[in-house]
Amino acid sequence: MSVLEGAIIYSNLLVLLAVGLTMTYITTAVPNFAQGSFAVFGSYIALTLLRLYDIHPYHSIPIAFVLGGLLGVAIYVGVLRPLIARGAEVVILMIATLAVDLILLGLIGSYSDYLGVITKKSAKKFILTPYDFSIAGTSGIFFVSILTIAVILLGLYLLLFKTKFGVAMRASMENPSLAEIMGVNVETTRLASWVLSGALAAVAGVLLPFRQEIVPMTGGIIIVSIFASSIVGGLGSIFGALLGGYIVGMSESFVTFYLSKVLGPGMLVYSRVVSLIVLIITLIFAPRGITSVKWRRIKWLRNFLS
Amino acid sequence: MAQEFLILNMIIWTGLYLIVALSLNIEYGFGGIPNFGRALAVLMGAIAVGGIVNRILMVILGVSGQIIDASGVVKTTLNDIIVQNPAVGIGLMIFCLLMAAVLGAITGAIFILPSAKLSEDYLAITLLAISEVMFMVSYYHPDIIGGYYGVTFPNVLNFIPGEQRLMVFAGVIIFIAILVYFLVNRMLASPYGRLLKAMRENEDVVEAYGKDIMMLRIKTVAVGSGIAALAGALYSMFSVNVIATNFSRVEWTFYPILMILLGGLGNTRGVLVGVTSFVVARILLITYKFEIVETLGLPFDPVWLEYILFGFVMLVILVYRPEGIIKEKPVMTEPIKEVLKKRKIKSRSSTE
Repeated sequence: MSVLEGAIIYSNLLVLLAVGLTMTYITTAVPNFAQGSFAVFGSYIALTLLRLYDIHPYHSIPIAFVLGGLLGVAIYVGVLRPLIARGAEVVILMIATLAVDLILLGLIGSYSDYLGVITKKSAKKFILTPYDFSIAGTSGIFFVSILTIAVILLGLYLLLFKTKFGVAMRASMENPSLAEIMGVNVETTRLASWVLSGALAAVAGVLLPFRQEIVPMTGGIIIVSIFASSIVGGLGSIFGALLGGYIVGMSESFVTFYLSKVLGPGMLVYSRVVSLIVLIITLIFAPRGITSVKWRRIKWLRNFLS
Repeated sequence: MAQEFLILNMIIWTGLYLIVALSLNIEYGFGGIPNFGRALAVLMGAIAVGGIVNRILMVILGVSGQIIDASGVVKTTLNDIIVQNPAVGIGLMIFCLLMAAVLGAITGAIFILPSAKLSEDYLAITLLAISEVMFMVSYYHPDIIGGYYGVTFPNVLNFIPGEQRLMVFAGVIIFIAILVYFLVNRMLASPYGRLLKAMRENEDVVEAYGKDIMMLRIKTVAVGSGIAALAGALYSMFSVNVIATNFSRVEWTFYPILMILLGGLGNTRGVLVGVTSFVVARILLITYKFEIVETLGLPFDPVWLEYILFGFVMLVILVYRPEGIIKEKPVMTEPIKEVLKKRKIKSRSSTE
């Protein structure tokens, strides 16, 4: 797998996760710390279907999409909605998602032990690359991840810009109280955003084992990159998540690759450090993300200086 | 013996978690700073012991080589010295604690700088990310505290015979924890504590009264991190080896948040209640995990059960009792007490 190929695959998956995170942040104003575990949930769905029913992981994408959506709804209805109804602060909601993350980790971990017992093959650690196909020396996941992201982005575009529901959803994202006055049910749009967020994360989770090894803890590790993607693009904009996912994914892959060429293979483990640095640079220069920068004003400034 | 061990274990963990939870209560309970990166300060305490003091000892004893192997040599040499001369052990312990507090405070002061520009939620994410990345770096990089191999450290209480060592260690830890408890209590009852509460409620008002919010935040997190680092140092000295995996986000960020929310935010007595009940529950769970798994017939590792249970407890607290076991009360200073007394007398005389 070439570096560029790996970087594109990884960025595609990050975009799926970051779009979901951003969407729930816009509608419910909660940064969801469990987004990484949502993905691992998807990975284990793929593994279960493969081991128990012999379904190829690529064919399990629709099932993961549905189950992921249900998980998203369950978290929102079961945990966040009661808290929001009580008027809980953002920090309390964030702590709640941390707790959800821990519960999911516990459930996924115990499930992995259980799956190992019934299939007599350890499920604590797995990778699905042996099940991948390849076309002209390029791995199948490369095409599948691009196809997935194209389909999902097209679907999102159609949903948000071409349907009445999408208009209502965008309106309630931009200004919930105004939308409510105009007769939009904000509650429905919140619910929809959690369904989509969970579903996209689970799909990313099905594809992730084709690129890296999955353990129950993986969610807690990739969460830094997911947040970096969303924040770099701007937590307030779905387009920003798309941009941020590619920026963070590409810089993680390429910066660690070139560093490892110069400083030895030991550098390969530091990809998260790169995303942290990207995150901090963004926060210093554009705290609201790249999409919030008023580029025209900067150009004007440059003209003025020169 | 098993019972005794169980109780000592509870005392040790109550002490360690009390220190961390108190430090978090200063920052989050009083100051309203959402520090989702508490584990970093605790890790810094461990780095001060395993990475810095170990290296100083290497220089003093003239040991050279990689820290992983050299720390073993330092340990055996120094253990023999400590057996002969208890003062060396005690001195080393105090030096470690000082180093940890200083390193923790410096890290804390730098760590909170992003808060100058960020709102609450962004800040919490950034702090969590910094702490998580430092955790990974110290786990992967063998030159800090030995990476996944870890480093060893001399037993500072080696002069005490084996059976009693654990008991004395428990005594030392709980003594330091109680000391911290009274100091923190005192500090938070002073005008500084009320200033922190004011900052939590409304930063603009505090600023309007001429206080520098950023300076206040830096000071608060520096003090909090310095205190939390003590726990990291004590834990490392107690377990005589330092390895990054002991300082995970769940154990040193999530659990402390759980403890202070359980006990009640913004009051030190609540922290004490929260920590004790958490530690008793957790140690019982860990000690009897195999019995629990056997009786329930669970087909998985009991460590997962702990995560599910405590995650669930957190949600229950947040939804059903967000104020915790003990509610926050206003600070009773001498002038306030006097005013209240006068009012009481007045109201009594008016009713008569």
